[in-house]
Amino acid sequence: MYKSTGFISFVLRRFTGVALVLYLFMHIWVIGGANSGAETFNDRMEFLGSPLFRIAEIGLLAAVIYHAFDGIRLLIVHYFDVTEYRKSLFYAAFVVSVILTIAGGLPILLHALEG
Amino acid sequence: MTNKKITVRIQRFNPDTDQKPYLQDFEVELAQGMTILDALHLIKEDLDGSVTFRRSCRHAICGSCAMNVNGQNMLVCETPLREKIDKNGQITIRPLPYLPIIKDLVVDRSSFWAQYQRVKPWLIPPDNVPEKEFRMSAEEVAALNDAEHCIMCGACYSACQVIALNKQYIGPHALLKAFLRVLDPRDADPRARLDDLDKGDGVYRCHTIFNCIDACPKGLNPTKAIETLRKLAMKRQAFEAARKERQKTLDKPVN
Ligand code: HEM
Ligand code: SF4
Ligand code: FES
Repeated sequence: MYKSTGFISFVLRRFTGVALVLYLFMHIWVIGGANSGAETFNDRMEFLGSPLFRIAEIGLLAAVIYHAFDGIRLLIVHYFDVTEYRKSLFYAAFVVSVILTIAGGLPILLHALEG
Repeated sequence: MTNKKITVRIQRFNPDTDQKPYLQDFEVELAQGMTILDALHLIKEDLDGSVTFRRSCRHAICGSCAMNVNGQNMLVCETPLREKIDKNGQITIRPLPYLPIIKDLVVDRSSFWAQYQRVKPWLIPPDNVPEKEFRMSAEEVAALNDAEHCIMCGACYSACQVIALNKQYIGPHALLKAFLRVLDPRDADPRARLDDLDKGDGVYRCHTIFNCIDACPKGLNPTKAIETLRKLAMKRQAFEAARKERQKTLDKPVN
């Protein structure tokens, strides 16, 4: 294994990308419940309302935010000659993602704990 | 003052007798000005003649001594031993990662050379080769970004995680070479080169991980070369026309 910030970013990108695709299937399953009537839809929504899924939602938020900022980082690399700053760009994307995840995740967590 | 003793950990593997690679420790006296290659020679000559590695020039120019030291690829002939000793007085030397091991620190570089051949690394001269010399401008030379300094050591290739997963990918070394030829005003067929690089195993296979830049002992930038080739591939028709125009005056002084 060739360890580097580039390797970490590659693993995180792949992991969050695949996680988002898996989430999409679940998302379609829940929303698709509306086709079978209000009751099915409400049942499925309720299933996702449990504290466990609330917490998992923070993970989803983290994945979306990191994946998006990593994507922006890569776009910057593709359009500008900034390979020299490759490590700083990764740290920047990571730190911004962590801050936004905390800012968005805290209310979700508090709400989940309230029940 | 006696010299400090250090531990050199070498990854050993003999395909005839070993199931899998293992690390073997050797005690070496750290002498003034010693390189990692010096330590390997000392071990081979005094401690265990079966330790196998490649080297030739000892001057960081032949590219045969690239190895993985403490997790980073480098040329062991140019790296001072002292610099790479950790706090426990240890240094760990492994073969280049992601390539089949032939023995100990020697890897099979067949795929590396096959991809190099694929990009036709030689110059394709124009029909009107000037009688005296080709004239290039300072800008044209600068645009090559020192790509001609590549010594084909394989440090970038074996650090690339895309290569680890997919040996069909052309790889940073060969793409850097392709970049050198495509941007060379003397080269007569940048269009055919870009057509090939534009395929599935080519420039778009790069995931922008940057390990090639980190690994290169010559400070070269394969990622930047790949980004440039991507852009040129998108406008290869115009690029080909500009090259044809440029080649009409290859024998005339520029700027
Ligand atoms: C916020 C918007 C998004 C941006 C800016 C973005 C950007 C990117 C970029 C630049 C890549 C890297 C390609 C490469 O490795 O060269 C990528 C990979 C990927 N993305 Fe996204 N993406 C976004 C949203 C999504 C969503 C919503 C999903 C899932 C439904 C997703 C799934 C994936 C997957 C599976 C990969 C492949 C990972 C890999 O090959 O390692 N992305 N994305
Ligand atoms: S680009 Fe650098 S690391 Fe890659 S083969 Fe050439 S000299 Fe070695
Ligand atoms: S021995 Fe030639 S590059 Fe190191």
